[in-house]
Amino acid sequence: MDPSPVRPPHRTAARPWAVRPRPDAMAALSAARGVVGDLRDGLAGSGARRAARRMRRLLGARGLALADLAGSLAWAGRPAGDTEVKALIDAVLHAEAASGRPPLVAEPLFANGELAGALVVAGPVRPASVRKAAAWVADALDRCRLETSAEQAAQAELRALRAEISPHFVYNALTVISSLVGSEPDRARELMTDFADYTRYSLARHGDYTTVSEEFHAIETYLILQRAVLGERLRVQVRVAPEVLGVAVPYLVLQPLVENAIRHGVEARAGAGLVQVSGEAEGNDCVICVEDDGAGMDPARAKAILAGRGSPDSVGLANVDRRLRHVYGAWYGLVVETAPGAGTRVVVRVPRFQPGVMP
Amino acid sequence: MGPLLAVALLVLGTLLIGLRGVAAMRTSSDFLVASRRVSPLLNSAAVSGEYLSAASFLGVAGLVVKDGMGALWYPVGFTAGYIAMLILVAAPMRRSGALTPPDFAEARLASPALRRLCAVVVLVIGALYAVPQFRTAGLVLSAVSAYPYWVGVLVAGAVVSVTLVLGGMRAATYVQAFQFCLKLLLFIVPAVWLVVQAGPEVRHDAVNPVAFTHFTRETPVSFQVDVTLRVAEPVRVETPGGGAALLPGEHRIDAGRTLVFPEGARVPEVRGDEPLNGAEWRRPLLDLEDSGHPLLGTWGVLLATALGTMGLPHILMRFHTSPDGRAARRTAAVTVVLLGVFYLFPGVYGALGRVLVPELYLSHATDTVVVALPAQVDTGWPGSLFTALLTMGAFAAFLATSLGLLLVMSGAIAHDLLPGGLRRLRITVVLVAAGTVLLALPATSVDAGVLVTWGFTVAASTFCPLLVLGIWWPRLTAAGALTGVVTGLLTTSGAIVAALFGPPLSGLTGLLVTQPAPWTVPLAFTAMVAISLRGRPAPWSRAAMLRLHLDEARLRPPPSQNRPR
Repeated sequence: MDPSPVRPPHRTAARPWAVRPRPDAMAALSAARGVVGDLRDGLAGSGARRAARRMRRLLGARGLALADLAGSLAWAGRPAGDTEVKALIDAVLHAEAASGRPPLVAEPLFANGELAGALVVAGPVRPASVRKAAAWVADALDRCRLETSAEQAAQAELRALRAEISPHFVYNALTVISSLVGSEPDRARELMTDFADYTRYSLARHGDYTTVSEEFHAIETYLILQRAVLGERLRVQVRVAPEVLGVAVPYLVLQPLVENAIRHGVEARAGAGLVQVSGEAEGNDCVICVEDDGAGMDPARAKAILAGRGSPDSVGLANVDRRLRHVYGAWYGLVVETAPGAGTRVVVRVPRFQPGVMP
Repeated sequence: MGPLLAVALLVLGTLLIGLRGVAAMRTSSDFLVASRRVSPLLNSAAVSGEYLSAASFLGVAGLVVKDGMGALWYPVGFTAGYIAMLILVAAPMRRSGALTPPDFAEARLASPALRRLCAVVVLVIGALYAVPQFRTAGLVLSAVSAYPYWVGVLVAGAVVSVTLVLGGMRAATYVQAFQFCLKLLLFIVPAVWLVVQAGPEVRHDAVNPVAFTHFTRETPVSFQVDVTLRVAEPVRVETPGGGAALLPGEHRIDAGRTLVFPEGARVPEVRGDEPLNGAEWRRPLLDLEDSGHPLLGTWGVLLATALGTMGLPHILMRFHTSPDGRAARRTAAVTVVLLGVFYLFPGVYGALGRVLVPELYLSHATDTVVVALPAQVDTGWPGSLFTALLTMGAFAAFLATSLGLLLVMSGAIAHDLLPGGLRRLRITVVLVAAGTVLLALPATSVDAGVLVTWGFTVAASTFCPLLVLGIWWPRLTAAGALTGVVTGLLTTSGAIVAALFGPPLSGLTGLLVTQPAPWTVPLAFTAMVAISLRGRPAPWSRAAMLRLHLDEARLRPPPSQNRPR
């Protein structure tokens, strides 16, 4: 019996034998490219039916179906008999080899050497063409798998790039706290709490994004601890406009910048230094500046650092730069404004809303 | 000179706050600014500050003088919009993280085409909303000084551009909240003074209006736009160049002229605009264009304003400042109260204006009624002082709203429409300001309230269905949303173009063209639902809906035990 068609038959299906492969090479090329795009989500994805339609036109078959491992079919053109096809697919998936004979053939599809599904072709198509078509679909599936794993690799890299607490800082902070336990136990307890708070935030591994508000909270605790270490040498100003507090940003993008500012603006010299952190909205963007009034540097050196060719201990900046570009696109990197003797200002600019970036 | 001085003072103040930027909100403690989140009250003051435009400050009272007490439905709709926003949109929109409707379209339906379309709609709404602001600023500046209208508009444009480039792009919450308090103060105090100073006779007349048929005193009328007057009885008017007699018939009066009508003369009619008699003026419904359908006309305005508020891009942006969905909802609730207080007073100005300066409708200048009143009540220095204060308030209203609108329009161009990376927001902003000035120059004859209501109508027929269905209906598809927004945009802009440039229509057709909301809003909703039902929603639409409706606390880890002291 004839199964009820999923969609009305294609108009050329009325004269099935009149359908011939198009001789136009460019059309064939664009159809082949289209198939690759359609199969981006695999055989079970939403593009499978579109891919089947393209393949059918390319082969000039009466009907063509793509089956995944579960045996569910995406038909294009006139479907063949239900029971017949089912038996054929079962045979192909079990034997992992081509089965059937014209006008109904099925070829297995392999992606990365593993069985991924089957291609069913109904109509007068040469078996060699069907084999080639199956190989093309398999290649497309391969490619989509590679793309997925590349995406996963990029995500993993992003996680790996997340800033780590500097051991130097942990050691200094704990030393200062222990020195205060005897003389100022209350202050020591507060600092201990701050330290716990800070480590909790830095070591947290939930999600990739947080809010500007949380980031500022983290750098404030960090600055309290640094002030305990450096004493009066560190002067700090943190100012943030309320419009940007809710903006989503990647975890720990500010802390490395502040750490950098303290290292180059305060620790590197004898006197006191001022570190300013400010956040404000500029139209649809959120602009965060971290500024120190230290020695500054040659702009060429800043460029080298951003490119990752700096000294090993200043890897933080390049790291943040790469993460920002990865999340927001090539235009949204760090901007470093500096000159010898003029201090350093690092500017982070992120859009206030970016699809997919959610705390 | 007084009013101009007041405006200069206001602009200087705004510039200073803008230049100082975040420094203006610095606290004694350098730390813990971040954890001090914006309270709903402060944020709703900022929302109201951004929302109360020149159309609210001046336009509503002008419409009351022109269309009667029924015009008070405008502020009812302007305020009721926040109730619709509170119930339907505020919290889910905040949870989506979206800053503007184009952002929301992308976040909910992942369609770049829809995003660009929404950016175009933002531009249309922004233009319809910003042009009357510039127009009113120009009118007020020329009314209080001797300069012509176009100088006023150019000055307004220059002031806005300079403010934007020198730090106005921060859209600072504190500045807007301050602007709201300033406006509220500058609106209420003169109103009370006017009522007290006007005397018992005027107060009686104000609540028992009569038709404006004869000039009760020698009245100068200065025309800012070309007007055609229809004179029934011969009347001798004084002009700066000497006396002249207006014979019965139609007379074209050029812009820039001033005619002084003698006491007791019959008031000429403005072609296409019948003066209201006392009973009509008192009627609590809006009979727009004398269509004979006051109830439908009122509903049209109410639908447009109440549903359009949620689609105003510069207002939605303010809700992004709320820390979470719950705070956004509270902000909307408090805003209803704040606006309710403000909108008690346009009626006062309107009723007094009807008695004291009814001749303004002859020159199409009813929008200036608020600033014209103090001089009628008191000719001494208190009158000048209050004129200056009201001009300052009107300019503050113009400045606050225009800054937000220009920013959101240039954001739509630089962020959503132009391809590429970091765009030059500063240049775009100045270009958009220049474009708005160019549009405002020929817009003198259209009332601010009418243009703004059209802006609301476009928002109600495009963004309202998009936001409401996007938030509450999981089956919405990108194709459906596109169709609905296109339908709403084309029908409303078609109606607006027809109303502006088409032949004069009357009766029901005329009403449905000038107030298209009663049919365009349902049409846009229907188109969106019908096309969505034909397609299949994206597989992740359930997840996207959950994101909009689940409390943030469920999605985030529990807060730290040791919050800062």
